Amino acid sequence: MIVLSIIGFVHFYFEAGRRWLAYAAIAFRLLALLLNFATGVNLNFQDVTGLGRATLWGGVVVAVPVGIPNAWQIFAQIGNLLLVVFVVDASITLWRRGDSVARRRALLVGGSIVLCVVVVASFGALIVAGAVHAPTILTPGFLVVVLAMGYELSWDVIAAAQLTAKLRTSEISLRASEEQFRAVVESVPNAILLVDGQGKVTLTNPQAQALFGYAREEMVGRPVELLIPQWHLSAHETYHQSYAADARPPVMGVARELYALHKDGSEVPVEMVLKPMQTVDASFVLVSLVDVTERRQNERTAARQRDEISHLSRVAMLGELSGSIAHEINQPLMGILSNAQAAQRFLARDDVNLDEVREILVDIVEDDKRAGEVIRRLRALLKKGEVQNRPLDINSVVDDVMRLARNDLMNRDVAVSTELTPDLPPVVGDQIQLQQVLLNLVMNACEAMEAVSGTPQVHIRTRRADGGGVEMSVSDRGGGIPPGDLERIFEPFVTTKEHGIGLGLSICHTIIIAHGGRLWAENIGGGAMFRCTLPLSDHAE
Amino acid sequence: MTSGTPIVFVVDDDASVLRGLKRLLRSAGFTAETFASAPEFLERYDRDVAGCVILDLTMPGFDGLQMQKALADRGSVLPIIFLTGHGDIATSVQAMKGGAVDFLTKPVNDEELLTAVRMAIQRCEALYQAREEIAIIRRRVATLTPREREVLTHLLSGKLNKQIAADLGTVEHTIKVHRARVMQKMQAHTLAALVRLAERAGIDAAPPTEG
Repeated sequence: MIVLSIIGFVHFYFEAGRRWLAYAAIAFRLLALLLNFATGVNLNFQDVTGLGRATLWGGVVVAVPVGIPNAWQIFAQIGNLLLVVFVVDASITLWRRGDSVARRRALLVGGSIVLCVVVVASFGALIVAGAVHAPTILTPGFLVVVLAMGYELSWDVIAAAQLTAKLRTSEISLRASEEQFRAVVESVPNAILLVDGQGKVTLTNPQAQALFGYAREEMVGRPVELLIPQWHLSAHETYHQSYAADARPPVMGVARELYALHKDGSEVPVEMVLKPMQTVDASFVLVSLVDVTERRQNERTAARQRDEISHLSRVAMLGELSGSIAHEINQPLMGILSNAQAAQRFLARDDVNLDEVREILVDIVEDDKRAGEVIRRLRALLKKGEVQNRPLDINSVVDDVMRLARNDLMNRDVAVSTELTPDLPPVVGDQIQLQQVLLNLVMNACEAMEAVSGTPQVHIRTRRADGGGVEMSVSDRGGGIPPGDLERIFEPFVTTKEHGIGLGLSICHTIIIAHGGRLWAENIGGGAMFRCTLPLSDHAE
Repeated sequence: MTSGTPIVFVVDDDASVLRGLKRLLRSAGFTAETFASAPEFLERYDRDVAGCVILDLTMPGFDGLQMQKALADRGSVLPIIFLTGHGDIATSVQAMKGGAVDFLTKPVNDEELLTAVRMAIQRCEALYQAREEIAIIRRRVATLTPREREVLTHLLSGKLNKQIAADLGTVEHTIKVHRARVMQKMQAHTLAALVRLAERAGIDAAPPTEG
């Protein structure tokens, strides 16, 4: 019984020990028990030949049997050996687990058992062999074991009590943090959804209920697809998967336009942040949404106002250029009229030269196209349309502007030189707005040179920008800009001109920034240079 | 000196306008020559031919007003018809002051342009004719002896032979002889005709006799 309980205790308490060793030890012990009854007087003695006396500590005299040792006792000794091996093995396993409690336990309990078994077994063997005259008393030896076990078990009881207390505290704090979480979720201005790994909503807040128009119980447990517009869904699935696979939060600012599906079927523009949450047994995604309807409206209003202002400034600029534009249109009209009237006169004659008339018609068609082209450019600039960003060649912007401003520059006696790098990669932008910027810079350059002696010269250059992209620059010989004003001139209502209202450059700046580019001024020898860079289109290289 | 058909010189930097104008002028029976720039015209035009210039006001480098001045500096009397895309008052005043005969706004109607051209050519021919006449008179004056010239200036101031003789310290008869020679050389039949010729040649009368 003792062996069984030791084995049982060690096995369950240590959670270690080889099963076959345990069974082997038990088997030998049972065999020994059988042999105890089957052979000799008992397993110790084949035959008891007499009684000896043994004096114990304290002078107590007890009778001890004396006889021939039983040879079958070897099975009991093997059983004991197996028991020792089992306990040692289990203790070593426990020791290896490493923490201090386990090591102490292995040393104390395992050690005491081994010590006890070894002492008791060898003591018994010595008695049986007649070397020692003493009764075979097991109790003191096992007392050590029981004490060691008791000590360890009491530790466990204390630890269990502490654990219970701790559990209770952590349950309280868990409940508290749950409360806090709930309070936070309920009170944040964002709409919040907690979505589990199956895509089901597990938690919502009042803001989410308001945003989507559902009651809490209408959302919880329902698939999150309920809240996403149909046209988003195909994209959503891949998005969801890729997000799960690669849990990087979506980058703000480049976020796509997202829409939430309201219960009434309307779509609400939202901004979304996803935060994955991993618990032991499940993964969740915390979805935080902000209704950006108002912000989008404000953005649209701001963009509209910006377009409006830049349109007005274009109209004003074209007003200044009206003479030049009239000339550009009148030239072909003049050609058309004189050619047509010449043809009428030729046709009125008796000897009509049809070849001549044919040539005239070719010229008329050409001139008509030319005038049409000027008007097209003019209309484009005057048009109050949506900004259309598309890949374009910056050199075409320069060409268009030169066509419109050429005559004006001529009248001002300004010599314009261009240095256009051929085959530049396309930039993304609105042709009209970029023309406006260039036109503005060129006209500023002309005005800057009005008060300066020397030949007015404007140089327009396009080339690849140093830091990638394409650069367009306009330089003049107007004496430059005071160094303190180099930055300020792009602010609204700052002007160095006598009659300027100081909006041109600020509009140019706004336009270039909206294009993702940069516009700045530098002083070069004897004049100013305005440089603007524009990013390349995605399609370029 | 001047002879043959008058020529209309067209100066414009726009090739298409040049072709159209040349055709129009030809259809109306004029001979036209075209030039793409002012310097090209100044270098190539035939100074002795009568005609007129149709000149574009705005051209790169050397514009119409500059060319007008360059022509005046060379003593040219070729009438100039300015063409402009957008006439502003200041430029047109300047052009007219510089002797432009017309200032037309593009696109210009054929009749308007052809009328202007006709009038300009007439004016040019008149100017050339007057210039010719003056040259003839001057050639006649050149044949006078110094004494005869002297007598001429005194005749122009309306003096009698006697007074002239007194002024020049000679006798009346000698003056009579000189006077007859002057009238003959100048091809004037009356004193009034002589005065007209002398005026056109720019010969001043002698100052009135003192005392």
